[in-house]
Amino acid sequence: MADAGASPAPKPSSSVKLVLLGEAAVGKSSLVMRFVNNDFQENKEPTIGAAFLTQKCNLPTRTIKFEIWDTAGQERFASLAPMYYRNAQAALVVYDITKSTSLTKAQHWVAELQRQASPGIVIALVGNKLDLASPSSSSADDADGGDGGDEEADEGDARKVPTKTAKAYAEEEGLLFFETSAKTGERVAEVFTAIANAIPETQLKGPRGAAGGQRQEESRVNLGAAKDASAKEGCAC
Amino acid sequence: MEPLETLNETEWDVVIAGTGIQQSLLALALSRSEKRILHVDKNDYYGGAEAALSLQEAESWVQSVQKDNSTVLFTDAKIEQAPNVDEEDGPKLGFSRAYSLALAPQLIYTESKLLGHLVSSKVYRQLEFLAMGNWWVYTTDTSTTNSLQSTSEQEHKNGKLVKVPTTREDVVFSDKSVDLRSKRAVMKVLRFLMDYEQQTELWEPYSMQPLPTFLTEKFKLPTSLHNLFLALTLSPDTPANTTTAYALSRIARHLRSTGRLGAGFSSVIPKWGGLSELAQVSCRAGAVGGAVYVLGKGIAGSPTPAPTKENVSTPLNAIQLDGGDAVNTAWIVGSEADLPRSPTNLSPTRTCSRSISIISGPLTSLIHEALAEGATPSTTPIGGTVIVFPSGSLNGFADTPPVYLIVHSDAMGECPRGQSVIYASTSGKQEINALAVDCLLRQVAAEPVPKVLWTMQYEQHAGSWQEDEAVEHEGVITMKPSSLDLVFDENILSEVESAWKKVLGDDAGTFLTFEDRNSVGDDDDGDEA
Ligand SMILES: Nc1nc2c(ncn2[C@@H]2O[C@H](COP(=O)(O)OP(=O)(O)OP(=O)(O)O)[C@@H](O)[C@H]2O)c(=O)[nH]1
Ligand SMILES: [Mg+2]
Repeated sequence: MADAGASPAPKPSSSVKLVLLGEAAVGKSSLVMRFVNNDFQENKEPTIGAAFLTQKCNLPTRTIKFEIWDTAGQERFASLAPMYYRNAQAALVVYDITKSTSLTKAQHWVAELQRQASPGIVIALVGNKLDLASPSSSSADDADGGDGGDEEADEGDARKVPTKTAKAYAEEEGLLFFETSAKTGERVAEVFTAIANAIPETQLKGPRGAAGGQRQEESRVNLGAAKDASAKEGCAC
Repeated sequence: MEPLETLNETEWDVVIAGTGIQQSLLALALSRSEKRILHVDKNDYYGGAEAALSLQEAESWVQSVQKDNSTVLFTDAKIEQAPNVDEEDGPKLGFSRAYSLALAPQLIYTESKLLGHLVSSKVYRQLEFLAMGNWWVYTTDTSTTNSLQSTSEQEHKNGKLVKVPTTREDVVFSDKSVDLRSKRAVMKVLRFLMDYEQQTELWEPYSMQPLPTFLTEKFKLPTSLHNLFLALTLSPDTPANTTTAYALSRIARHLRSTGRLGAGFSSVIPKWGGLSELAQVSCRAGAVGGAVYVLGKGIAGSPTPAPTKENVSTPLNAIQLDGGDAVNTAWIVGSEADLPRSPTNLSPTRTCSRSISIISGPLTSLIHEALAEGATPSTTPIGGTVIVFPSGSLNGFADTPPVYLIVHSDAMGECPRGQSVIYASTSGKQEINALAVDCLLRQVAAEPVPKVLWTMQYEQHAGSWQEDEAVEHEGVITMKPSSLDLVFDENILSEVESAWKKVLGDDAGTFLTFEDRNSVGDDDDGDEA
């Protein structure tokens, strides 16, 4: 997945601002923790305000540095999200497959992003806690044929949102779609890789929105240079 | 922490009112403290007077300015959309959200302390800065053009744009036909300015006199060249009202900043809307630190001392928020405009007529042409340019104040690709902004001729409120409203620092100096706020 191993020739690298949205306790922070630290906590504290993390993702032709903003699902005043999805190139809208209301909330987020975020934003819909569903109800290729589609037939199956429902919605809205488990790590890396691949090259670091651009990482003023420069005289006069 | 269902009857260490640049920097400064912080804004957008707006947001902003005078600092707002934008093949406005137009664009000189604070607080990682390249001054006086001619000047029958020289090279490499005596005079002034503070005997007698008097009497600088130096002051006033002391400090700052962070520029601007972006990045840091953010909720009533509780030594202020929530807080910090005051108590001291114009073309010739020696558009990330129309240059009246145009290319992320944004401002009448924009577009040698697709005009006021007994008491910290300067106001930093010190007391630490919260692929689980 996000292997930071040394490669012989440096690949072009760009940063991608990504925001996670979704109802409280669906596993946003757990997904990020799995992606960034390959770790999982059984009883994770709710996020307060927001958290910021970064992680690199190596693609065959380039390196993507994700700047991840993990928001708090319990943020009651809905005043933070606009600040995070402003200029974001990607959004991960998460729901919990064992909780139907969380898909409804996810759909609200998708609508808001489509209304308010940059026109070119890449949105992935992610159904998390896949480990709580029984394998039969989880298989992506289930044609819902199976054994009568009896939900309670499976004892250990806590799934409330059928894959089919969410997938159909995602297709309709043009979203990437995944079911994951932050607990087992299943398909977590794929989500981020898919997002990295879905961001058009022209969009990376360009002017925001559909307009795109082809500016590279280095074409910005490096503030870090300030200290060294200040030692010398500024002007050639 | 318990989820917050309502703000009513909550208790805080600090309530910050407004998300303008001052308050946002304070939120950043307090973001690693253990204080319980509630940050509210009466507007439903971030940035206060420094906000950056989409087209739709700009429309509702204009309506709110027209309707109620809750925004006393802004008046006379209106939007004009060019009638030809609906034409089949003509240039068109983009999506509303493709724009991020700054209400109060400001340049940040590379020597500003702000940049050091952004580095030490680590938030610079979330910002991208582009440079403002060459400065141009519009000149109608033919003697100027003969004496100090830029190689890339763009001629027009009424006048032309001349590049403002800020380095020795600029002067030496300017046109061959340049009169040597003028060149030498310009060089002398530039050299003097590099350490003018040490030469008080030379300029102090002139400190309260107009800059032109000083330049003429001490340097024999021909009058036609005065505008080159006046341009660098960004003074809102006519030359006669621009004092030598004021002007020298501002020109010197420009020169000292030149080349500091790269060749060919002296100031930078954050992408995506300037100070608005900085305000939001600061608020985000506040949120990561655990502050609670609520937009669309202001302070409704004057703070009153809350009844002190047993075992609690800190004095408490009780405040009412819009919507009726009553909260208690030890400190309340806001700008004068965000704390409840009667608008009639405002006495405006200055007014600035501003306009924002969306231009159909890229204006590349101005922004990228004739960069300094050694600088190319690919090595120097230029996002715009400054164009100065000196006093009287547009209408011939010497008592008309100058107009400053700050041109942003699409690289700033404030407009769709291929367009550009012109921010105009003057302390004169709104009409001269439009004259300046028109004049500039006629100067640009581009096919098709770029057009104004959309303009928003407004007046911004700076002033102060009369002391309000009801508001000023212990625990209330009032910050000044934003200045009208086109340059980031360094005083903001000391104001924020003093508020931060008051709130944190002795264990304040070093102002705006933090460790990174986590680095790439970090092993520790630094993902919680
Ligand atoms: N079984 C299972 N539990 C999970 C999974 N992901 C997260 N959890 C658990 O769900 C709870 C909430 O996870 P978080 O990652 O904190 O959820 P969040 O979306 O970040 O919540 P907020 O920060 O409050 O918005 C924690 O107890 C996690 O251990 C998963 O894939 N499977
Ligand atoms: Mg969380």
